[in-house]
Amino acid sequence: MFKSKKFNIAEWWKKLNVKYSIGLSLPLLIVTTILYTLLQANIFRPGTLSRLLTSNFRTWLPVILVTIGQAIVLLGGGLDLSNGSIVSVGNVILALTVVSSDETGKNILMVLVVLGFGILAGFLNGFFTAYLGLQPVIITFATSYIYGGLALLLLPSPGGAIPRDYTNFYRNTSVFGLPISLLFIGVVIIIWAFFRKRKYGRFLYAVGGDANAAYTTGVPVTWMKISTYIISGLLASLAAISYSLLTCSGLSSSGADMTLASVTGAVLGGVSMSGGAGSVVGSVFGGIVLGNIRNIISSLRLNSWWRTLVNALVIVISLAGPGLFNLIRRKK
Amino acid sequence: MNEICLQTEKIKKRFGGVHALRDGSIEIRSGEVLALVGSNGSGKSTLVKIITGVLSQDDGQITYNNNPVQYNNPMAAQKSGIMAVYQELSLVPSLTVAQNIWLANEPVKKSGFVDDKQMIDQTYKLLKLFEGTYQPSLYPEASVKSLPPDEKQIVEILKAISREPEVLIMDEATASLDSEQVKRLFSLIGRLREEGKGLVFVSHRMNEIFQIADKAVVLRNGKTVGEVAIAKSSEDEIVYMMVGSEAEIVKQPAYQNNATHNETVLVADNIQSEKLAGVSFSVKEGELVGIGGLRGQGQSTLLHTLFGNNTYSGHISIFDVPIDFKHPIDAMQHDVALIPGDRASEGLLLLRSILENFHLPNWKSYAKPLLNINKARRDARKISKQLSLVMDSLDSPVSSLSGGNAQKVVIGKWLLRNPKLLLLDDPTKGVDVGTKSEFYKLLHDLIERGTTILFYSSDDQELLRLCPRILVMHDGNIKADLTGDMLTEANLVAASMGATSNSTNNKEFMNV
Repeated sequence: MFKSKKFNIAEWWKKLNVKYSIGLSLPLLIVTTILYTLLQANIFRPGTLSRLLTSNFRTWLPVILVTIGQAIVLLGGGLDLSNGSIVSVGNVILALTVVSSDETGKNILMVLVVLGFGILAGFLNGFFTAYLGLQPVIITFATSYIYGGLALLLLPSPGGAIPRDYTNFYRNTSVFGLPISLLFIGVVIIIWAFFRKRKYGRFLYAVGGDANAAYTTGVPVTWMKISTYIISGLLASLAAISYSLLTCSGLSSSGADMTLASVTGAVLGGVSMSGGAGSVVGSVFGGIVLGNIRNIISSLRLNSWWRTLVNALVIVISLAGPGLFNLIRRKK
Repeated sequence: MNEICLQTEKIKKRFGGVHALRDGSIEIRSGEVLALVGSNGSGKSTLVKIITGVLSQDDGQITYNNNPVQYNNPMAAQKSGIMAVYQELSLVPSLTVAQNIWLANEPVKKSGFVDDKQMIDQTYKLLKLFEGTYQPSLYPEASVKSLPPDEKQIVEILKAISREPEVLIMDEATASLDSEQVKRLFSLIGRLREEGKGLVFVSHRMNEIFQIADKAVVLRNGKTVGEVAIAKSSEDEIVYMMVGSEAEIVKQPAYQNNATHNETVLVADNIQSEKLAGVSFSVKEGELVGIGGLRGQGQSTLLHTLFGNNTYSGHISIFDVPIDFKHPIDAMQHDVALIPGDRASEGLLLLRSILENFHLPNWKSYAKPLLNINKARRDARKISKQLSLVMDSLDSPVSSLSGGNAQKVVIGKWLLRNPKLLLLDDPTKGVDVGTKSEFYKLLHDLIERGTTILFYSSDDQELLRLCPRILVMHDGNIKADLTGDMLTEANLVAASMGATSNSTNNKEFMNV
């Protein structure tokens, strides 16, 4: 009865990793966060920490949202290269139509239009890739130009103005000392956890792991794949809304940088490019790590192309990793 | 007599120009085990997939519990109680044992969340059915990709059982199980039979069929030949049905091996690997040796192992030199060539010219140090004449050639190296009749020239027509070594089903 239950930290870490697959992203998150804070001069002055938290998360929120969407698509064995362009379209629509804080009804309607566009765009991606069985890389690369072109058509030159009241609310509201952008991420994670623990989550990992086996076992594979693109599209619209609130203006190429960042973030978060392995929580960590790297590079006053280089290197290494591993094993 | 629970009538299925099924008619009765028997390409797997809704038939009718049914996907078939244990397992490697067993059938709490605890408890209960026959590494939360093949097979079986099917189809479910595990499976089948379930058992092992089945339906060339009651039948009768009456005509193989006094070219001694269970044989210079048996018994693996593509334990020697190929280049330096089964993906660069394809393995010998393109052209022209290759010019892309001519290019590029040992990995699979006959002519020429050939084919007729000696593989081993009088279709089919009698008349085989 008195058998002492020894707390084995290695065992605990292993279990945690199996459950949430954050073995890569959590250490990266801790290391980059420490590096970043060390580079901040006044970090120990009262208020600095909460100020940094607010300013960083409101900037990162759009990228983290598309990263979550990308992670879900990757988990289902797909790839969405059009999420950045969906952000652009949403941003442009809002910048053109949400001009006054007096027209609440119209503004809510426009937000719904943006969300609807994201769902529709995601559905089209899913329809072409999952239902017609075309290559996701090619299809979503192509649709990214369609959506991007639509954004450019709607708003050829940067402009528009989101009302100040809205942007101030987004930028400066805190609840219990936490910025709403961070809280929003928490809400998304909780909603995801809800689905993850239901059949939907089981099906998703099965489809990404081996779509054929899942199909013969009776999983609705096509519908599952389509749904991941719809979720990605929806999250991209939410990213568009937060981006618009952040910048209070419209830019037809606003989401262009986010596509590569979303893939990198998901991969850093431990999501497998071949599907079926990884977690949404990990991808959020991956997104934050990317934000940290971005800040570190700018604190060191390095050129901004370092950021792109880091993004690209992460993807190349993650794609080449399994191949290199096999090569080394074979040589032995 | 038991009641019919599922019946298929005149099921037809075509893949492109190939008739996989012409008349698939079976009756599955409640409380009976029906064995489905047939050689390669007889349509067993296709019929199974049609019943379970993975494929849909072109024509014909399935009746289930006296109602006509049509399943367009596996989900629909499962919902009505038809489950299958598939030959190529339907497991998701990245998920755990429990998650795989309960996939798409998860126990759910009232709130709609998956009940993990119940799932794991139920999995422990299912695993008890095979208790003691597996390693401790098999437990509900173990990842499936880490399991050995037999344990994966157990998981696949338990997955089907967990859905409490009315009709259970087992397609080669015993292929990777050991004898103790098979015994457990059979007692499980026995229990399901008593519960009045309809059971279908597809196996390449004749002894198992006689052990467990009540009836056997034989398929041949996509047609149902007939049904026999196992108790009143014999191995010979079933083999006879699989072969058909036309096999009674004794066939003379096209070539005779007058090679017995020649040097030994290849000796394989106890080759073991994941798919090979101690293969030993030897081949003499200038012999044409066929490799037969049902598909997937290790034939391709054997050829690839000889060529250095797979790791193995055991000894291989060529011309009395022990060899250990690590890369195809090593094999090429020993004058060994492997002609792959899949032309398009393994044999040719489709968009490149015929010349380039011919010389792909040979460019080195023309670089002294600059490429002597004229000599390369002359040699390519010579070989294409020798192969009577029909083409526009050496510079036209290989994709412009017909199937048979493309096949000649695959062989020609290795002939330019004058191989002494040629390994053929089912080169006539899915090839039309005209192409085949040209290919046979080519084989003939090669043998005349003294090339030693190991020829794997999934077409029994072809082997019997061509080869004076056939090694029949079964479960990763050579079951029979047939020459002379023994070389009959009945013997070949019997050996590929693992029937025990009359396995060899080749003295050398027994000595190796």
